[in-house]
Amino acid sequence: MFFLAGLAAGIALASAYGFSLGLRFIESKHSRQQPTPEVWFETPTPSSLTLVSQGRALFLSSCAHCHGADATGDEGPDLHNVWVSDRYISNIITNGIKHEMPSFKKKLGHDEIVRLTAYVRSLE
Amino acid sequence: MNSENWAKMHGATVHFPIAMILCSGALDALGFFFPVAAIRRGLHAAGYWMMILGAAGTVPAVISGLVMSKGVMLGHDTMRLHHLFAWPSFALIVGLATWRALASDFTARKAPAGYLVAAGFAAVLVMATGYYGGEMMLGH
Repeated sequence: MFFLAGLAAGIALASAYGFSLGLRFIESKHSRQQPTPEVWFETPTPSSLTLVSQGRALFLSSCAHCHGADATGDEGPDLHNVWVSDRYISNIITNGIKHEMPSFKKKLGHDEIVRLTAYVRSLE
Repeated sequence: MNSENWAKMHGATVHFPIAMILCSGALDALGFFFPVAAIRRGLHAAGYWMMILGAAGTVPAVISGLVMSKGVMLGHDTMRLHHLFAWPSFALIVGLATWRALASDFTARKAPAGYLVAAGFAAVLVMATGYYGGEMMLGH
């Protein structure tokens, strides 16, 4: 009986996960973004006032002309209150979005992307 | 249907299982200690059906939640906290309802203490899930 209860719980979770994979597959067909796989245990991007202010400087030089100096959006979207993971933000900055946002893979190094991610996260 | 409508659908579907699971645990706990056998049986029968209906109610809640978030199982920040409580509670509720449905000998009789502890734990998880769900809507 306990085995069957555990099995039912496992099937329920596996079904939800399968459904989620299906939805993300459909979404990826309509999206130009590079998919960001989810992980259960995610290390948060390091954040400090220094990192945020360095990220802000990078943002003003590389991103503000599309997202606005206050990041509330202009040609690009408002970046406040984004409900996505740090890895997702850094993935978008690194790879860009085809026909919508340039890739910063060659322009910015890993540390700079970490600073930018810390800044975007601070906008919440 | 767009994400906004699915968000409304999620809001419309989550409260039923929350109410059912919490009441089921409360009625079973009350029945566990109630001295009058006839009333105790009635309380456990109500707890049984509420657990079954609550578990059934989690299905549309989970589906609407996944569709509104476009398949995100974890997300970030408050949404991540919401999901970190939602998935264990979903699994536990389905497991408890299956246990309860299969163990027909305690459908309307005294539920085992282990079941009550697990149902109490499920109730705490459901409350935490609901709390962070509310924080997402109202906390910002």
